[in-house]
Amino acid sequence: MSGLGPLTARDLKKWYRNPVSLITGLIQPFFWLALFGYAFSKLGTIDPAAIDNAPSYITFLLGGVLTIIGLFTAMFSGVNIIFDRRLGPLSRFLMSPIHRSSIVFAKIISAMVRILVQVGIIILAALILPNGLIFAHGFTVEGALVIVTAVVLVAFIFSSMFSIIAVRITRPDTIFGILNLVNLPLLFTSYAMFPPALMAGWLSTIAQYNPVSWSAESIRTVIINGTTLTASQGGQVLTWLGGLALLAVAMLLIVYFVSEKEIRE
Amino acid sequence: MKAIETKDLTKIYSGHLKAVDALNIDVEEGEIYGLLGPNGAGKTTTIKMLTTSTPPTSGTAKVAGYDIIRESIKVRREIGVVPQDLTADEDLKGYENLMMVSQFYDIPTAKAKETIERLLGLVDLKEAADRYVRGYSGGMRKRLELIIGLVHDPKILFLDEPTLGLDVTTRSQMWDYVRQIQEKLNVTIILTSHYLEEVDALADRISIIDHGKVLVTGTSNELKAELKGDIIQMTFRTQGDEDIIKKYPNFIEIKDNGPNSVRMKVQNSDEELPDIIRYISENKLAVTKMTVQKPSLDEVFLEYTGKDIRVEESPGDFKKTMFNMRRVRK
Repeated sequence: MSGLGPLTARDLKKWYRNPVSLITGLIQPFFWLALFGYAFSKLGTIDPAAIDNAPSYITFLLGGVLTIIGLFTAMFSGVNIIFDRRLGPLSRFLMSPIHRSSIVFAKIISAMVRILVQVGIIILAALILPNGLIFAHGFTVEGALVIVTAVVLVAFIFSSMFSIIAVRITRPDTIFGILNLVNLPLLFTSYAMFPPALMAGWLSTIAQYNPVSWSAESIRTVIINGTTLTASQGGQVLTWLGGLALLAVAMLLIVYFVSEKEIRE
Repeated sequence: MKAIETKDLTKIYSGHLKAVDALNIDVEEGEIYGLLGPNGAGKTTTIKMLTTSTPPTSGTAKVAGYDIIRESIKVRREIGVVPQDLTADEDLKGYENLMMVSQFYDIPTAKAKETIERLLGLVDLKEAADRYVRGYSGGMRKRLELIIGLVHDPKILFLDEPTLGLDVTTRSQMWDYVRQIQEKLNVTIILTSHYLEEVDALADRISIIDHGKVLVTGTSNELKAELKGDIIQMTFRTQGDEDIIKKYPNFIEIKDNGPNSVRMKVQNSDEELPDIIRYISENKLAVTKMTVQKPSLDEVFLEYTGKDIRVEESPGDFKKTMFNMRRVRK
């Protein structure tokens, strides 16, 4: 697809050249891990069974944190389309002989790359933190694949969703409003932070259908169980990932058709 | 083949604002063609349609032989555009901006490098190429925009108000660059401006456009010659005096020009002026102001649009127009 390469390279160049955005993007997940991980683990109220027999709360939480990082970074990826429109580069893209959807896909791909880097660093951080990530039952290549797949799919789904919203929005404050409206609800109606056992029944019902839960639970399952993953657990993980993949394909089609037709100055 | 050919090109914004009204223009290959008109005349909208950024409401146009609606991608490959607003990414270096746009056109890297070096030299930006665009001056940014529009060797270059907001010295520098580009790269240039000096200095042919319509087309000299005479502007103290001057026997044409003022066209102002002054003193007319103008593009413009290009419409109207234009554009 013409234009995709140079546009993605542009976004990534701007990202790694801006140390503030790079560092804040990395500090934030530490906060999530350290603050939430320790705050809850010291409460002493969590029954190990409630957190899927995870050897530490951070081990339980990691799947949620990785998903949240993907979610939040992805949601903001569309904002730059609005700034490109305001500051001028978008009109250059539109008058060039490139696929219009490549403008949007470049944002999505660069968001996915950024998220994967963040995810790698968070996993390392969780391993270093005292009482942090513990692979009680070892770790498998399949497990690593599940983590990457889940994160990539979440990143794709939500950056597509918010980039396509940004295609028809001209004011940055509008999209910030929408972001703030949905980010925390999406998070707290999911199993990202809390196990089903600690949730109100109605909330748990909603959480079952939240894609954020699917990703968090998939990652959680492979991290906690490692080599002892049973066939039924494996099947459940594949169902969750399949759900995410279906959503991702739907978003892919929507992004393609909407941006080819609708993106304009 | 004509470089550009439009047929009743029309753009109506949000149902009522007629920005371009059945526009018909022809641009020959290799010429610099100037679209001259006041703010809000429809120049930018015309450029946006011809460069396939905005679809026309009705009518059609061929650019480099391709239809702007059905063959928009082909049109985009053949044209370079330097829009009014800046398009370079401030957080990239000058060179990186040029390279990125080269890649949009799938130009092989080696060839792109060569072209970019040559273009940077042409507009004296070689030293600044490795600096971030956010550190560029206004003139440097415009020069960068000028060559961003040229990285793919276009056949036709669109310049929308290329010197808007630049100081006088920088502006005449830009003119030199535009001339050099036309000579060295052998590209057809279509240029819009509301600066008379600019189109007069650069354009081979000029169309004066207002309210989305072409009022007249010709070379600068043709337009001036068509005025057939000199203009004498006179302002009187009273309306009565103005009425009496209209009875002066020997003029080509006389028009009202504001309160108690007239624009009189005469064959030759040098010979006519003594007679007019005699007539004024014989009739005891109280003249407060009198100016003689030999033909210039200013007069041509005034002749066809009925207003002075330097004087905007009343500030309220102008603001309203701009506000509407911005709203519909964004």
